[in-house]
Amino acid sequence: MSTSNDIIGACRNNIKKRLPRPCLSDIDATVYTDPVEEFIVQATAAGCQVVRGKSKKDLDSIISEYYPDAKVIASAIPEVKSATVNPNDVKKPQDLNGTDVGVIEGKFGVAENGAIWFPQEVKERAIDFISENIVATVPESEIVSNMHQAYPKITFNDFGYGVFIAGPSKTADIAQVLVMGAQAARSMTIVLV
Amino acid sequence: MSTTHSKLAKKFLENQQYADWHDSTFWGLRMKRDKMARELPEWEQLRNKASEIKRHTLTNIDIYLQKFADAAEKNGVEVHWAKDAEEFNEIVYGILKDNNAKKMVKSKSMLTEECDMNPYLEARGIEVVETDLGERILQLAHQRPSHIVVPATHLTHDDVGELFEKELHTKKGEHDPTYLTYEARLSLRDEFLTADAGMTGANFGIAETGDIVVCTNEGNADMSTSIPDLQIAAIGLEKIVPDYECLSVFLRLLARSATGQPSTTYTSHFRKARPGAKKMHIVIVDNGRSKWLADDDHWETLKCIRCGVCMNSCPVYRWSGGYSYSFFIPGPLGINLGMLHDPKKHSGNVSACTLCLGCQGVCPVKINLGEQIYKWRQTLDGLGVANPQKKMMCKGMDYVFNNPSVYNFATSSAHILNHLPSFIVNNGLNPWAYAHKMMKFPKKPFHNEEES
Repeated sequence: MSTSNDIIGACRNNIKKRLPRPCLSDIDATVYTDPVEEFIVQATAAGCQVVRGKSKKDLDSIISEYYPDAKVIASAIPEVKSATVNPNDVKKPQDLNGTDVGVIEGKFGVAENGAIWFPQEVKERAIDFISENIVATVPESEIVSNMHQAYPKITFNDFGYGVFIAGPSKTADIAQVLVMGAQAARSMTIVLV
Repeated sequence: MSTTHSKLAKKFLENQQYADWHDSTFWGLRMKRDKMARELPEWEQLRNKASEIKRHTLTNIDIYLQKFADAAEKNGVEVHWAKDAEEFNEIVYGILKDNNAKKMVKSKSMLTEECDMNPYLEARGIEVVETDLGERILQLAHQRPSHIVVPATHLTHDDVGELFEKELHTKKGEHDPTYLTYEARLSLRDEFLTADAGMTGANFGIAETGDIVVCTNEGNADMSTSIPDLQIAAIGLEKIVPDYECLSVFLRLLARSATGQPSTTYTSHFRKARPGAKKMHIVIVDNGRSKWLADDDHWETLKCIRCGVCMNSCPVYRWSGGYSYSFFIPGPLGINLGMLHDPKKHSGNVSACTLCLGCQGVCPVKINLGEQIYKWRQTLDGLGVANPQKKMMCKGMDYVFNNPSVYNFATSSAHILNHLPSFIVNNGLNPWAYAHKMMKFPKKPFHNEEES
């Protein structure tokens, strides 16, 4: 088998001229006067429902209003009293299959694409994907305009995983017809807190 | 003499109604991209920066590869190095065997297509399940991708409906895409829950942190890696970028160029194995890439971020389909990559270009795709595959253009051909009269127009 030295060495021998790193701080990126408003527009376009003017204490009533038939509710957020399963306590990720609503906490949002940053904070991150529907909180004060502003805000912990999510799972692989709910969540409700 | 591409394209065009649908579907994707590009005033600046970052990274790739591998190992990930497809397949099989894994779910990876990984593993008793819906459809239909982003778009919903009736026992005659997608979801859910291993490709590898970054709309890369115990990521060595500051530039361009979305639904950053799961593995693949770095004319093809916009933009791709090309990646990108991999085998594709350069005008990392195809054409004679008819014509033109008296005689008397009976000029021996009537020559040549 090849070693790192073989392949890195082959690259080194074939590089003709080393080119400098470009300056990126002069990118004239679009900044929104009201990032929250743009975030709502983009998240809606990505297939989300957005609830404004609520707090984490309202999560239970939001769940019962938006997902009245939900029986299995997974969450590690203390305010979600209606949770029936905790992703920290399940033995294996498979045990989260059948979750009607997964309630998760986002750290910040990005206005230009409606995405929210979710670092893994529970034992089984499968909750983010395996749940039929997702309810996600994000602080209204933590919405940035674009991805250049987003990356310096990224946090990682010892789980070593994080994801930007922009809306429910989707596909257009059959005849280019857009369908929500490919392999992961079929709907996403964002609660700005 | 026809090229391999033009023969297959002719077959594709036999069904004009289907060809029309194919053209408008991919042009639709291109128009969505244009709308996105117009909404960002900084779009062209982003393309310039993206190109410059890639040029910098590739010409320092030895340093960044080392950095990436060190960071990944520090995260507890085992890093493997494969010089070619054979080594890659052996490594992946070795990891699966060591972990006693019998079934692997995987998300879309053009690298595993390039290495023909699935047949290799299947021959050794591993069940491989594609989980991107398009790739799953192709796996069930025993076909290869016809596009790198939307791999099964050449199939209509009726094609998929009939396939699912047979393979997934869906309702007869029910070919609604929403219904079919839901049935595929249910069937794939079982596969995710029972797989021993999950594999992803990589859109980016971050040298500073050792992250593998994967972009999907379906969430299948995350389903594939958040449930099974073993995670493997396959990455071509050109996919390394220095850090998050650079990554943010590419992420703003990628989905906008590919499908006209401001971002994919999921942009996942994998740094280490899940708690309680087995060790995570990353396989870094060369397979020709290190050699291409030294190719002055073609090294910039390595900048590609696989958005597919060159295919959507290409009039030849839209009117000939992915299967008219001999290389598994079609369109302007595939023509160039095929020539880098095996010029003798894939030279039949270089004719599949009108040199309109539409592809390089929209490429988010500004690869000079069309210019490179022109350069490949200049090498055909050396490969012994130049068209003899065209070679003879070129020699003739060389003589005419270098002799003004012959040239003037030819242009001023060409109109006499107009009076020849149709069967003499409009026949199979005259390639200029193929698919349309022979042109009419003017009485007075263009360069004499001024005189009157």
